Amino acid sequence: MEFLELLSPAFFLLAAAGSIIGIIFGAIPGMTATMAVAVCLPLTYTLGLQEGLALLLGLYVGGISGGLVPAVLLNIPGTPSSITTTFDGYPMAQRGEAERALKTCIVASLFGGTFSALILFFFAPVLADFAIKFSYVEKFLMIFFAMSVIASLSKNILMGVFSGLLGVLLSLIGTYDVSNGGNGEYRLMASFMEPYLAYGFSLLPVLIGLFGISTIIEEAEKGVKEPSLENKVNLTKGTPFSYRIFKGQMSNLLRSSSIGTFIGMLPGIGGSAASILAYTQQKNFSKTPEKMGTGEPEGLVASESANNGLTGGALIPLLSLGIPGDSTTAVLIGAFTLQGLQVGPLFIGENINTWYSMITALMFANIVMFVVMFYAIRHIAKVVLIPKFILYPIIVMMCTVGAYAINYGIMFDVWTLFIFGVAGWIFTKIGIEVAPLVIGFILGSSAEVYFVKSLESYGEYSVLFTKSPIAMVLWGLIALSIGVSIMIHKKSKQHAKQGASK
Amino acid sequence: MSDWFSSLNTVVIDFDVSHQFFPRIIITLLLILGLVIVATNFRPVMRAIRSGRYQFFVKNADFFRLLVTFALIPGYFWGMDAVGDVLPNMGLGFLLASIPFVLLMSMLYCHDLTRRNMTIIVANAVIAPTVVWVVLYHFFLVSMP
Repeated sequence: MEFLELLSPAFFLLAAAGSIIGIIFGAIPGMTATMAVAVCLPLTYTLGLQEGLALLLGLYVGGISGGLVPAVLLNIPGTPSSITTTFDGYPMAQRGEAERALKTCIVASLFGGTFSALILFFFAPVLADFAIKFSYVEKFLMIFFAMSVIASLSKNILMGVFSGLLGVLLSLIGTYDVSNGGNGEYRLMASFMEPYLAYGFSLLPVLIGLFGISTIIEEAEKGVKEPSLENKVNLTKGTPFSYRIFKGQMSNLLRSSSIGTFIGMLPGIGGSAASILAYTQQKNFSKTPEKMGTGEPEGLVASESANNGLTGGALIPLLSLGIPGDSTTAVLIGAFTLQGLQVGPLFIGENINTWYSMITALMFANIVMFVVMFYAIRHIAKVVLIPKFILYPIIVMMCTVGAYAINYGIMFDVWTLFIFGVAGWIFTKIGIEVAPLVIGFILGSSAEVYFVKSLESYGEYSVLFTKSPIAMVLWGLIALSIGVSIMIHKKSKQHAKQGASK
Repeated sequence: MSDWFSSLNTVVIDFDVSHQFFPRIIITLLLILGLVIVATNFRPVMRAIRSGRYQFFVKNADFFRLLVTFALIPGYFWGMDAVGDVLPNMGLGFLLASIPFVLLMSMLYCHDLTRRNMTIIVANAVIAPTVVWVVLYHFFLVSMP
């Protein structure tokens, strides 16, 4: 119980603060958990490891949960993962049951979050123990598998793969790092760029640009309209909430949380996939499927327990394999690097106290999220009223601070922010998908080292297939994910055709 | 036959050019994929563009706000660097560039510049950067231009 010594009052205070700030971020439409983590990163630069992580995990939990507020009140998902919350939440709010809907969501969120934290606690060390046996060949295949899963679940397989590879290519810009056994030569750039890009683009400015600045540009393009919401956040009337709503919902809670956790484990797939899958599953199992979408609490339960189930799930591959499960955990990887920690199979074993403190922070953040949202929902709901013209300049300012400070004062990192902000805005317009691109960018340089070093030491291509039984299993999984994705896409095409012919 | 296979299977990576090995594979894959995407999607995409179903900008795009945003953000970055060079090591580049930036961007994004809104905007433009500067630069020792 040595880790208990690490848990200072500041640790709990920061986890709570993170959770509350995250809720506020999540509650503002257009602001996501990823952005909350990115914007608050500079705060962790001088914090200790435990405190920094406590803050960031709090932000993650709060950010995912906060999205339910505008989903219910305004029919706008605050974060992409609360899209299905709007289906039943908004009809309930229109009937004057806003408070009842919100509190149902909050309880479901707490369940999903705690459930996934427990799964994380028991499952991540097992996976890490297994992954320790991996050599470079298996590590490369693991990344290859992750990329194939991301690509297969993107809207268009070809564009998904293309985006992922583009991310890999972007990560290779710079020198072939000597510390990884490279020859230190520059590549993929003109000579005038060498002073700026010796180490390539920094991860965090790229992420903050893609997720933060590009959102602002998108909004500017749409004219930064302020919806008039004055009368929609009045929660004082309507049927009050009671826990009886959860009667008969246990299987729904368990199923949806498991779906959320599992989807979270798959790299690169955002929360919207988790909540949509949980929602459709609930529709399949529901006794009254025709009522879902008209303001049924069971829809809220499915959606919200799934998207909070994501939090623990997405941390599993991050902490056991070093592969981020979603875009927020991708930013977290940057925070770890900042603290001088490398996440991967050895992380838990070597940092056992940090591991315990992370789980504590995650659980605590979930509890704070519940208490704050459950009892102060009337006040939190007003957050959606903060005008965008006040908020957006502050977001840009915070992103800038984060980018500048990440490498202790490099102006080029700030420009990277702008370059990728504009790039992210263009990407979404021409069909390049940001999630696979980001995962490709994060994993690209390790993929290179694992791939090239494996070939250098064995001297033949076939080692990639025959190195070990694990390698063969991984190839099987890769084939499976490609097969399944082709099947899913064929089915959805048929559905679309049938829909069109009707 | 087996010789042929093993020669195909063998790989020797020259250390001096090993930095090009992996990027070349990725570029090749990107080119092939790009060609496949263009070949399979060229016609439908062209049709969609011609018929106006695909447009690069959103419907009724606000070009004024978009273009000014494209000017304001780089201007802000340039400004903080320039001020930071003149007054180094105090984080003043950040503070002195952020105040006008926040002010201008708020005014740009506000649709209703009433006296009340202007008061809020000006107060926010002064208070927010100052608070960030005091807290992050002085308490948290975060580096700023």
